[in-house]
Amino acid sequence: MAGNFWQSSHYHQWLLDKQDLAREQQHDLKIVTEEEYQKIMIFFANFIQAIGEHLKVRQQVIATATVYLKRFYARNSLKSIDPWLMAPTCIFLASKVEEFGLISNSRLITTCQTVVKNKFSHAYPQEYPFRISNVLECEFYLLEMMDCCLVLYHPYRDLTQYCADLPSTEGDKILPLAWRIANDSLRTDVSLLYPPYLIALACLHIACVIDQKDLKQWFAELSVDTEKILEITRQILSLYELWKNYDEKAEIITILRKMPKPKSCPSPPPNQGTNNQDGAQQSQNQQQTQQQQT
Amino acid sequence: MEEKTKRYEKIEFLGEGQFATVYKARDTHTDDIVAVKKIKVGTRAEAADGINRTALREIKLLQELSHRNIIGLLDVFGQRSNVSLVFDFMETDLEVIIKDNSIVLTPAHTKSYILQTLKGLEYLHTHWILHRDLKPNNLLINDKVVTRWYRCPELLFGARQYGTGIDMWAVGCILAELLLRTPFLPGDSDIDQLSRIFQALGTPRDEDWPGIKALPDFVQFKHFPGTPLREIFIAASDDLLEVLSKFLAMDPLKRCTSTECLKMDYFKLKPYPTPGPQLPRAGGNQNNNKNPDRTSLKRKLETDSGGLAKRLIF
Repeated sequence: MAGNFWQSSHYHQWLLDKQDLAREQQHDLKIVTEEEYQKIMIFFANFIQAIGEHLKVRQQVIATATVYLKRFYARNSLKSIDPWLMAPTCIFLASKVEEFGLISNSRLITTCQTVVKNKFSHAYPQEYPFRISNVLECEFYLLEMMDCCLVLYHPYRDLTQYCADLPSTEGDKILPLAWRIANDSLRTDVSLLYPPYLIALACLHIACVIDQKDLKQWFAELSVDTEKILEITRQILSLYELWKNYDEKAEIITILRKMPKPKSCPSPPPNQGTNNQDGAQQSQNQQQTQQQQT
Repeated sequence: MEEKTKRYEKIEFLGEGQFATVYKARDTHTDDIVAVKKIKVGTRAEAADGINRTALREIKLLQELSHRNIIGLLDVFGQRSNVSLVFDFMETDLEVIIKDNSIVLTPAHTKSYILQTLKGLEYLHTHWILHRDLKPNNLLINDKVVTRWYRCPELLFGARQYGTGIDMWAVGCILAELLLRTPFLPGDSDIDQLSRIFQALGTPRDEDWPGIKALPDFVQFKHFPGTPLREIFIAASDDLLEVLSKFLAMDPLKRCTSTECLKMDYFKLKPYPTPGPQLPRAGGNQNNNKNPDRTSLKRKLETDSGGLAKRLIF
């Protein structure tokens, strides 16, 4: 479906404003700082990216899954469902919605285990604890929390079209860089706050500055809200600023220890032999075991 | 989620299809009558897939669509692979109307049904969505009504690339059925279906349908000359036969789109289509016995949709 963005649930229900985000995050922000919260969200976007790349899904699936994760935590505390579980659930659902095909259960969990072991052991030294039964349960909470709004619009399509509209062959040259910036924008909140065409323009704007291309005339002829483009630009640039002095590998484990976690582990996986259950999802299920924190 | 299961009180069983079971239910929060479509869990292997993919398509598309001739998705509940979708309750479907011999269908009624179908379809097609399963009864599929009867020749010949023409063919079969009051082409196998199509409409020659022989499952049929439409539908007006021939063009590229169709004479000339609330109702009861206890929201919905507007059901 390539429907109309202006009639979509994305436009009508899922363009939030900063106050919406602040309201839901205020409880988590009593436990972690704003910067730490941001680093947690970046970290789990990276985790989604790693799982997605390992499963060889398209970037579209990864982008959708990342926005799903953001939507969920825009309305819920980090302690409602462990992001270590929510991340693969987002990939699982996004792959179906984007018609990429179904990812087999065993492959999804094996991938999580492999990726955690090989790439994220600095953040999660134990074995990946979740089972497919947890993912299937979590999938429904995700669907419900998003009010069944599944179709997303990403800046990539707009970006391609804008680049095709640029004078001479400028577009071909600038597209790869702008595309990478659009990928990076998934590590900020812009996908929750602004329509995708404005994000595309901001990415193009940043790419022009980096490549020292003068497209002032082209931008001037657009009848769009330039102030909004600058807001998006600032948010993406502040991500780059943060990355300059941030060593995720060294710092993330301390932040994750502070991260609010689910209190209960309601439905332990049937074959759970180990006792390194580092938090699990919350549900109405009454079987509660005390969660152990490492 | 568990609370939602309790929110909808089952009233009666409505029907069962390949993928779902449908119940009439009461929404205890609003007192509205709704239809609850419970997706079948299927095999163990399917249950392991999480939320059923067919259901997920239905959810994701219906959330993006809003049209008076397309059914509204009100709610989704369940857990794991056990999904239920909640829809506006529609009193009847076209199959019931067609089969109810106590109902007289006037040309104006027929026009109204086809007009509403085309409007819904035009909306879907402009959103790049194909319905792919149009038939008089989409919701409560019983054993006798099969999708095959509404399936176009290119799909029967195994085409893997197809377009809006597949839905237009189905509308043609439905229009024919409204006129005949019995299914137009009730094939009992895919080959029999093609045979019936060609017997009625004539076996296409290469020049009628260039590329027909390149279709994956193409087989050469005996040459049937076909019967002119006006001899099959003797009571039909010329303008109606003109749209019907556009729906039932053998070559999918020669079938009209819903937008083109809506501009044809048939929809401009008399008799004018019957307004939704005046269309016949099941059981031959022409009275409008609306329940006065309904909430204002429901009444608003009914006004919006012009009373008994026909909806496309996925």
